[in-house]
Amino acid sequence: MSPIGSLSNDQILSAYENAVRSRTLDIKVVNAQRQGIIGFHVPSEGQEILQTAIGMLLHKEDIIFGYYRDFSLLMKMGIPVSKILDQMLGNQADIEKGRQMPDHFSFKEYNFSTIQSPVGAHLPLATGAAYALKYRKEEGIVVANFGDGATSTSDFHAAMNFAAVFNLKVLFICENNGWAISLPTKKQTVADIYRKADAYGMPGKRVDGNDLISSLNGISEAMDYVRSGKGPYLIEGVTYRMGAHSTSDDPKKYRVDEITDGSDNDPIRRLEKLMLSMGMINEAQISEIKRRAREEMDAVIEERRKIPKPEPESIFEDLYSEPAWIQEEEKRSIL
Amino acid sequence: MTLKTMVQSLNQTLDVLMAENQNVILLGEDIGKNGGVFRVTEGLQNKYGEGRVLDTPLNELGIVGMGAGMAMYGLRPIVEIQFQDFIFPAFDQIVNQIAKIRYRTGNQFSVPLVIRTPYGGGVRGGLYHSQSGESYFVHTSGLKVVTPSNPYDAKGLLVSSFESGDPVIFLEPKRVYRSIKSEVPEELYRIEIGKAALLKEGSDVTVITYGSMVSTVVDTITKNRVNADVIDLRTLLPMDIDAIISSVKKTGRVVIVHEAPRTLGMGAEISALISERAMDYLLAPIIRVTGPDIPFPYIYEELYLPDERRIMDAISKVKNY
Ligand SMILES: Cc1ncc(C[n+]2csc(CCOP(=O)(O)OP(=O)(O)O)c2C)c(N)n1
Ligand SMILES: [Mg+2]
Repeated sequence: MSPIGSLSNDQILSAYENAVRSRTLDIKVVNAQRQGIIGFHVPSEGQEILQTAIGMLLHKEDIIFGYYRDFSLLMKMGIPVSKILDQMLGNQADIEKGRQMPDHFSFKEYNFSTIQSPVGAHLPLATGAAYALKYRKEEGIVVANFGDGATSTSDFHAAMNFAAVFNLKVLFICENNGWAISLPTKKQTVADIYRKADAYGMPGKRVDGNDLISSLNGISEAMDYVRSGKGPYLIEGVTYRMGAHSTSDDPKKYRVDEITDGSDNDPIRRLEKLMLSMGMINEAQISEIKRRAREEMDAVIEERRKIPKPEPESIFEDLYSEPAWIQEEEKRSIL
Repeated sequence: MTLKTMVQSLNQTLDVLMAENQNVILLGEDIGKNGGVFRVTEGLQNKYGEGRVLDTPLNELGIVGMGAGMAMYGLRPIVEIQFQDFIFPAFDQIVNQIAKIRYRTGNQFSVPLVIRTPYGGGVRGGLYHSQSGESYFVHTSGLKVVTPSNPYDAKGLLVSSFESGDPVIFLEPKRVYRSIKSEVPEELYRIEIGKAALLKEGSDVTVITYGSMVSTVVDTITKNRVNADVIDLRTLLPMDIDAIISSVKKTGRVVIVHEAPRTLGMGAEISALISERAMDYLLAPIIRVTGPDIPFPYIYEELYLPDERRIMDAISKVKNY
């Protein structure tokens, strides 16, 4: 069933607001990085609509294995910006206790699993989680997000194959943003990404990830398929990385002709145009939404950056269920 | 001669090796157009073309495995793994293929492959851009493991690694990539694999270290006027046992400093070798100053990394024993 017929103006507006808040947070965090407040960031700019669409279609019990560039998804899942920032600042309120680089979130409470740096390494875990759901006859599916670069990893191959062989409820969503750092997707793989599904015996579909309706249509069809127990599914969402790979990257080195202001590929502008043409919104309301987002993000950053660091002893915790003598001894000798 | 950073020194060395030998091929992620995320391969694709500087898909197993196949069949690949933390998908290729190929084929084949990779912490890289995994490789016979501590050694060791005829894990301390400069001659020169450097001479204590910790150790020893032998191992496999033992026989006191975790780190092997060969000369227990046995945390890097205070504590312990 396509959700579009039943998509209300409020839902479209709330998708738009989510994307704008995510974009605003990206911009504010990059500024904070330049000022030394936050150490590093991988912006999601350009991928907001695809991620928002995924978030809109999730059920509460679904388990998400996202990756490091998923701001809009986290926000659409209802994870508070304050918690996102606590992780990025590595402060005392960060549930990961400041151990991971910014953007490497773990929110078990929200069914958002855990992000690692090694590309693709979460994909086999997603199949294990799906088997657990199946074995324990629990509701929900597993959604695994990853970049175009990740499709080259051995982990991707293993996960796709296992998910199909064991007929698991995994929805694989490739956020193809055209780049893996400096490597354009056409040098990453000669094949169409969505067609890789064929090789594993599952359906694959490409959606325009910069378009809300196309994304919602494709993903909801895939989710229906996976939820019904027919097996895994691969979605390729074609998006666009509007900026640098990360705050450590200088895209001018490899993207000379490509770099634009992103206007043609900017999914937020596209949605704005659609809403304007439908008379759902006017320019003044757009400015107001953006202003509110800026105010919100400024206020949260100001608030969260005041929270002190975790205690130094905390770096020696959580290796095992019970502390071992090795870390206890090292803690005494180092602190 | 010009002053160069380690990045510049490595870049210039690769350039000369490629110019002199048509069979030298570079492979890695983002090493071509982008010149590598640390810029070690900057300009080389422009100069030598896409057929000799390959931007690969994102798969370390593929990079190392393809490099090994090239090496077995007449080419001279030098591959880059973007961060040592991401080498583990290639671990099977390294341990089960390249380290064993000469042995299992009765010397019919060899794998003259250099695997360059930045390692170590101190750049706010968190769990996955900071690890010092040398022990995993040093535990694998058939490999050589090398780590330069300065721009001059980086060149000499890279040339020797390239010429060694065996697979070499070439660990580049990323914290030192741009932090120190040294005089680096333009022409190729060699630093023998398996030979340590005695950076300072003294009679009270032997401090053994390598790679990323060398400059911290030297600064500490100099600043505190410790009368110490400072040994920079330079090669971790095979280690320069003679340099270690002759110094220990002179000083009788040993401190080992490395950034990698303590348990089964290089310090464990060095201590065992010393106790087997020079027990009678020891005047104090051997002390290790190392990273703790925890993942490298994003915050509190400064607690993880051995520093002046911890090194001096260890030195005074062995001196006052
Ligand atoms: C196994 C591994 N190799 C290399 C890296 C370094 N690295 C970080 S992100 C990245 C590119 C990933 O591209 P893609 O999967 O398309 O995701 P995107 O960043 O474009 O969202 C690379 C090579 C890594 N993190 N993990
Ligand atoms: Mg990408």
